[in-house]
Amino acid sequence: MSVRLQPELRNQLIQFGIGDWNACYHCGTCTAICPLSEKGFLFPRNKIRLMQMGVKDELETSVEPWLCYYCGDCTKSCPRDANPGELMMSLRRYLTSKYDWTGLSRKFYTSGVWELGFILVFAALVVIAFLFLLPAYGFKFTTELTAQGGVQVNAFAPWEYIEIFDWSMAAVVALLLISNILRMYYKIIWKDGKTTVSIWTHIREFWLLIYNFVVQPRFSKCEDKNYWLSHWFLMSGYTIMFIVIVVYLEWFQTDEILPFWHPQRTLGYYATFGLLFGLFVAIIGRIRKKRIKFQFSHVSDWLFLIMLTLTVITGILIHIFRINGMAWATYISYIAHMAILVPMILIEVPFSKWSHLAYRPFAVYFQQLKKHAVPRKSNQ
Amino acid sequence: MEFRPTLVAFLCNWCSYTGADLAGTSRLHYAPNIRIIRIMCSGRIEPTFVLKAFQQGADGVLICGCHPGDCHYQEGNYKCLRRYKLIQKYTQQMGIEKERLRLEWISASEGKQFAELVNDMTKTLLQVGPSKVKGTLEVEHLKK
Amino acid sequence: MEEPRIGVYICWCGTNIAKMVDVEAVASEVSSMPHVVLAKNYKYMCSDPGQELIIKDIKVHNLNRVIVAACSPRIHELTFRTACEKAGINPYLFEMANIREQDSWVHTDRSEATKKAIDLVIAAIRRVRFHEALEKRSVSVNPATLVIGGGIAGMTASLEIAASGKQVYLVEKADHLGGMVAQLDLTFPHLSSAQQIIHPLIQRVKNNPNIKVFLNTQIQQVHGYIGNFNTTILQNGNESVEIEFGNIIAAVGLKPFDPVVIPEYGYKKIPDVVTSVEFEQMLLSGLIQTSEGKDPRNVAIIHCVGSRNKKFHEYCSRVCCMTALKYVHQIRAALPDANIFEVYADMRAYGKGHEEFYAHTTHKQIIFLMFDQQTGLPRIRKAGAADKCNIIIEMDELLSGISIEVPVDMVVLMTNMEAHDDVKEVVRSIGVSLCGNQFFIEKHPKLDPVATTTGGVYIVGGCQGPKDIPDSVSQARAAAARILATIAQESVPVEVTTAQVNELLCCGCQTCVRVCPYSAVSYDESKKSSVVNEVLCKGCGTCGAACPAGAIKCKHFTDSQILAEIEGIMSLSYKY
Repeated sequence: MSVRLQPELRNQLIQFGIGDWNACYHCGTCTAICPLSEKGFLFPRNKIRLMQMGVKDELETSVEPWLCYYCGDCTKSCPRDANPGELMMSLRRYLTSKYDWTGLSRKFYTSGVWELGFILVFAALVVIAFLFLLPAYGFKFTTELTAQGGVQVNAFAPWEYIEIFDWSMAAVVALLLISNILRMYYKIIWKDGKTTVSIWTHIREFWLLIYNFVVQPRFSKCEDKNYWLSHWFLMSGYTIMFIVIVVYLEWFQTDEILPFWHPQRTLGYYATFGLLFGLFVAIIGRIRKKRIKFQFSHVSDWLFLIMLTLTVITGILIHIFRINGMAWATYISYIAHMAILVPMILIEVPFSKWSHLAYRPFAVYFQQLKKHAVPRKSNQ
Repeated sequence: MEFRPTLVAFLCNWCSYTGADLAGTSRLHYAPNIRIIRIMCSGRIEPTFVLKAFQQGADGVLICGCHPGDCHYQEGNYKCLRRYKLIQKYTQQMGIEKERLRLEWISASEGKQFAELVNDMTKTLLQVGPSKVKGTLEVEHLKK
Repeated sequence: MEEPRIGVYICWCGTNIAKMVDVEAVASEVSSMPHVVLAKNYKYMCSDPGQELIIKDIKVHNLNRVIVAACSPRIHELTFRTACEKAGINPYLFEMANIREQDSWVHTDRSEATKKAIDLVIAAIRRVRFHEALEKRSVSVNPATLVIGGGIAGMTASLEIAASGKQVYLVEKADHLGGMVAQLDLTFPHLSSAQQIIHPLIQRVKNNPNIKVFLNTQIQQVHGYIGNFNTTILQNGNESVEIEFGNIIAAVGLKPFDPVVIPEYGYKKIPDVVTSVEFEQMLLSGLIQTSEGKDPRNVAIIHCVGSRNKKFHEYCSRVCCMTALKYVHQIRAALPDANIFEVYADMRAYGKGHEEFYAHTTHKQIIFLMFDQQTGLPRIRKAGAADKCNIIIEMDELLSGISIEVPVDMVVLMTNMEAHDDVKEVVRSIGVSLCGNQFFIEKHPKLDPVATTTGGVYIVGGCQGPKDIPDSVSQARAAAARILATIAQESVPVEVTTAQVNELLCCGCQTCVRVCPYSAVSYDESKKSSVVNEVLCKGCGTCGAACPAGAIKCKHFTDSQILAEIEGIMSLSYKY
């Protein structure tokens, strides 16, 4: 079966940050030098070829873009300055938009106005909720301090209500992510129609998913070990924070000021440190542009970094203001924190850059499934 | 002792000799038993030359000229062809096997074909065996 | 005849010969032969010290015959003949043994190769004893020149010769000058106008009083020899004109290959599949449109049509890759939104500024698709109603390894350049030969790519092999310089190895008169003997072979010389 070329695909791909791909003349140096490219799962050259030619189906069903962790060796060694690393990054943005069935991802990636507009609308809704909705249920700002001299956060933003909101937001995000991952699974494993994978393989290889999520071993295969560390700090800090906020908010958001060595505080400090360290490395990197992966920044890259940084900073401020009994400052920080956090989670996790936290470990899992795939029996 | 056929070749200067040179520049290997004599045109070939070669001990004689129509001297190769048919008849009557005398067209660009031709003829001569007329011929009028 | 005193020199040619032939052994084996005064081996006989060695030995040892066993006589015979002449002996008393091209380079067994080298040197020693001194002769040169072909090469050569005040006859078979260049729009890699190059040239040729242009004209059989040619030309098919000239330049060019013979491409069957020549016409008219009069949205350019494939032509036409890239710029300028597919087998960008042109063009948003020129020619078919395009190209794309269909509205076939149909008649009428691809064969592919093996006949431009404008122009000017040099000399040396009739032996049968292709032999009734006109004789030796009385001597290839060579050539392999 021959594939019909779709030359207009180029115009779509350009919007995801793909530059001049005709620079590539297919010497294959990038594939040869890549520490992650392996037999059966070769990249980046062949993916660049599909992009150049406009072979949509083959592109959409490939798992390889997610197996690339952007060490930049390919871009460094490219004799034509075709920048294969960034081409793979752009392809991941394109794939993210393709997994997403709502079409919002595509809008966010290709239009800064749409993304910013969404953020502002959600931020406004959060502010309105704090200013009008919660007071309507009897929760209001109070300058009265606790016996320890801390701010009464729960009087203004009761953890029960916030947790219900967190849960529902997590549910929406999870629903979107799961449906997108199912689409990803369909495209990568099922769509080619030639092979099939047994249920047992699905179960047996499942541990890979968790292992890859936690340790990110593929990342460390890239030569730059330092970046693996900072990325791991960022990822673990984020995960811890996510779990304590969504699942254990009662335990985490207390009016009582717990001793310094209490796990509530140490865990919080660790997560904050991890996030700050990771963000610091990424932001400085993108400004200095020394690492190849940081040389080309799409709008979505900057937006994500800025929002996450602001979330962490407002989080720190809430903590400092609260234990020092600065009520108004605490409340304003809290509202700001939520006004940034909510749109960030709602946009970044299912639709944009942050979705990779789900797609990457699943990609490794799917790759493993593909390795064990057997030819499908004909329907006779 | 193992039989090693001796092959004498008459090559015209413009096509075949140049073709043989090309086989050399292209480093194509062929059997080392061939001895090449350069003449200006295959039309220069006299029956005497062929007989002399057989008399001197050649197991085979090869004549090469330009392809029909490509002769540097317009039509020398046609004259060679006509003369070759006569020599072929004559040598056969003398008891020299037909396979021992061969005429082929080799152009200046056919180095590969020349190398293959030499190997092919050597193979044929190995099958036919040593020439029986070695040393038995005398070409009288040339003694002058 | 004086006693032969032979000097033998075995060349190592660096390691080229010495690696496969034991040069010491060859020298010592032949040193004791009768008449051999000395046998030496030396690293590079053709070098200045090598030639000096021969010159010194001739003087010191009073040598009168010299043998050099080295490369092919076609390469260095002249070098050593000149060295002999410098030392005061006749150049024809020299003989060469070819132990490189026909020995060390083609054999792998060192002892066999050494044995063969000894045989060849012995044969040369036997032969050289019969060599005779031959006197050089020269003939006067008619200062007029015949140029065949009025393309850019022919016109450039004509202007160059005419600039020195000499007469040029420029013969063109079409009804206008300009050749292929006149059919082009822009040239690569600078995208300058071809029309602005060719039209001033045509005007200069037409206005030059020293150039006589014959349009609609074909040449007939050319008679004569270097310096003194003549022919009758037929203008407009009937008016015959007699012209005399001293030199000939063949600049007949090439013609585009007809892709009808490639079934995969459907040329002439599928609308909007056009050749590069037709596309140039489209560009000249300023309108790139499909047969339905619409702007094409997608254009494919297929490379190597009829080139580099044994079924059609094995050679590369050299100009098509760059022309195809040139089209990208022209299509992009006319149709900014069109998708352009370069369907190629290999991209060749060998010339000055060409690689840069390629690199620059790749940034013009084009899609390169690679196919296998030997086994995977793209297949073109007419698109169906549902396809939203005119044409579909099916191909196995090599760089991705998948089979693809390319939807396009127009296909440009980059056709090969091949010899004209009547090229054989042209070469026959001027006495030169063709190589395997029907290109005119040059005297030496590297050292003399302008001259031919026929004295006074030069080849320029595409007929010698496909080339671009700068190459054609350089070759044209080079040929003109060569001709002006012989005209300035007023005379040229001619063949000395001619035939000679021994009137005492001639029986008057006139066989020789009938076999001579140059009518150089005639029968003299008063002498009752054939005579050879040595000016017309080219020394093929056919008359000598045909003479039943043995009355004709072919100088330098005499019976005694050749028979002596045969006697020597099997010295080691067979002795009785």
